[in-house]
Amino acid sequence: MKTLTIVAGVMLVFVFVWERVDVVRLGYQIERLKVQKVLLERERDQLQVKFSSLAAPERIAKVATEKLGLVPPQQGQVLMVHQPGEVPSMSLPPVEQVRLARYVSTGRARE
Amino acid sequence: MTAGPSRGRRYVMLLLFLCGFSIILFRLVTLQVIQAVELTAKADRQHQKTVSFEGARGMVSDRHGKVLAMNVEVPSVFGVPTSLESPSTVARHLSPVLHIRSGELEKKLRQDKSFVWLARKVEPEQGRRLEQLSLDGIGVVMEGRRFYPKGPLLAHVLGFSGMDGQGLEGLERRYDSHLHGEKRVTVLQRDALGRTVFPKGLAEQVPTPGHALTLTVDEVIQYIAEKELEETVTHTHAKSGTIIVMNPQSGAILAMAVSPRFDPNVVASLTPDRWRNRALTDTYEPGSTMKVVIAAAALEEKVMTPGSMVFGENGHMVIANTTIHDHEKLGWITFSEVIQKSSNIGAAKTGMALGEQRLYRYLQAFGFGQRTEIDLPGEVSGLLKAPKDWGRRSLASISMGQEVGVTALQMVSALATLANGGVMMKPYVVSEVRDQKGRVLKEVLPQVKRRVVSPDTAQTMTTMLEGVVTNGTGAKAAISGFRVAGKTGTAQKIDPRTGAYSSTLFVGSFVGYVPAESPRLAMIVVIDEPQGEAWGGTVAAPVFRRVGEQVLNYLGVSREDTVKIALATKDY
Repeated sequence: MKTLTIVAGVMLVFVFVWERVDVVRLGYQIERLKVQKVLLERERDQLQVKFSSLAAPERIAKVATEKLGLVPPQQGQVLMVHQPGEVPSMSLPPVEQVRLARYVSTGRARE
Repeated sequence: MTAGPSRGRRYVMLLLFLCGFSIILFRLVTLQVIQAVELTAKADRQHQKTVSFEGARGMVSDRHGKVLAMNVEVPSVFGVPTSLESPSTVARHLSPVLHIRSGELEKKLRQDKSFVWLARKVEPEQGRRLEQLSLDGIGVVMEGRRFYPKGPLLAHVLGFSGMDGQGLEGLERRYDSHLHGEKRVTVLQRDALGRTVFPKGLAEQVPTPGHALTLTVDEVIQYIAEKELEETVTHTHAKSGTIIVMNPQSGAILAMAVSPRFDPNVVASLTPDRWRNRALTDTYEPGSTMKVVIAAAALEEKVMTPGSMVFGENGHMVIANTTIHDHEKLGWITFSEVIQKSSNIGAAKTGMALGEQRLYRYLQAFGFGQRTEIDLPGEVSGLLKAPKDWGRRSLASISMGQEVGVTALQMVSALATLANGGVMMKPYVVSEVRDQKGRVLKEVLPQVKRRVVSPDTAQTMTTMLEGVVTNGTGAKAAISGFRVAGKTGTAQKIDPRTGAYSSTLFVGSFVGYVPAESPRLAMIVVIDEPQGEAWGGTVAAPVFRRVGEQVLNYLGVSREDTVKIALATKDY
């Protein structure tokens, strides 16, 4: 009984020490992951800025006209096509038109 | 018995022990009691590291979520002069990386200080190169830097923030309380090697970022407006220019372009004159565009009808010992033609028929002489004197758009009122404020300011203003397939040298809305001091057409001649 108590006591001490060591180990791990997270967030933000600057209308227009040789549509060259009864919307693209286009292009025709 | 010496040794030993314990006791009391507070603080300084975190400044995006301003962490470089052995060698190494002259860096590094900034918020690549150099006494810390990825686009509205992240101009300043991130001080634990173990209260460590703003502005419409304005200002060698595009039904600003432009990423070398948002800080005499307001007041008060006949005095009329001229000799014309042909004499007669008090009341009702209360800083109220301060010619002058100072924003708001059936809306640029989790903190809904004229008057004015474009001075604003309502304005500027109206300095403008039957856009184009032909109908109206046509196409607004087809489907 006495030996058992001593062994249990020693085990408890080991568990306590192991727990303290593990807390410190996990602390280091958390710190490493936090640094990794900060670095990844920083990279994400830098990429987002880069993406936004590349997607600037001014740059796209420059590439379209200077590199691809495109020109803006001239007066009368744009025709809006609306379904009968459709109210033109301020928002683009009209949802109905997109749905209809997908429906037709997939070939799943009328029943 | 030889107990004497033995006893003596015992006393000596006892004394030594007592002395030894006394010293230890004294030291213990000194450390644990007398110096306890000081030493505890010293231990904390060694084991704990206090770090100040500042949450990132909030993002600004357009109405479709396109990023217009955001924060990115970039390196800042500092030096510790007291730990440098050879400042000149370090400066020579740093110079090509930081693009700063070696002498300038050396001067900083020779200061008798323990910390100096060498370059703040540099490019990430420069930070990486510095880390590779690993110079003793030179360190890099990360700081949030504001980026405007679209460069000059919308710069006058966005404004910019300072080196320490405080909003200095434009929206950055107006919404600084929302945009700036939370500042929080956190205690980090360090081990014997000085490494950070983990913070106390982990969840509390990350400071809250600033709130994000969503604007009413559309970056594509803004780009179209800026492109066309820049071309015209350059082509006409004008001093400056302004375009505002507004949704007349809501008061939402879709674009606000000012020329010359500036890049908010590099403002250090610019003067305030360059970043002033002229659309709301600069006043000008509107000239003939003011006739729209006079005409609306006359119709509302039933002083005139579109068919009322007005004698044009064959182009000359004397008022208060001064002569008013029209640019063509007109006889009897209808009131509609007064607006179409932009007759000064017809407008003056209309103003006189209204009388001082009624005219003043309508000018105020249309928003002149007061701020529109748009959510941007620096707006001025313009110049509108009370009738008691008017001279004998004032009634006629104001009716022609002289003796009154307006901002471009006030004028487009007045026209938008007519486009909106006589109801004036409050203009605004921020539609939503969200927190870091995307929750809406503030949603700005269209706000009615007041009804200014009846729907009938607004409708009649629309018809008359369509006449300006189809048969009058605004022909060059016509957009194929759309009905355009608008008015030209050409105002002489006061010559600062003589104090009199100049014969060479003009402000040419066009203000209108389209499609006239169901307005989607209200727009003003103001060109300040164009060289050569300066008529509003010549310099500003074509810009209105070009911007209007592109924006209507972009928004998918139907033309009158829209092709309506029956959609055919095919079985595959």
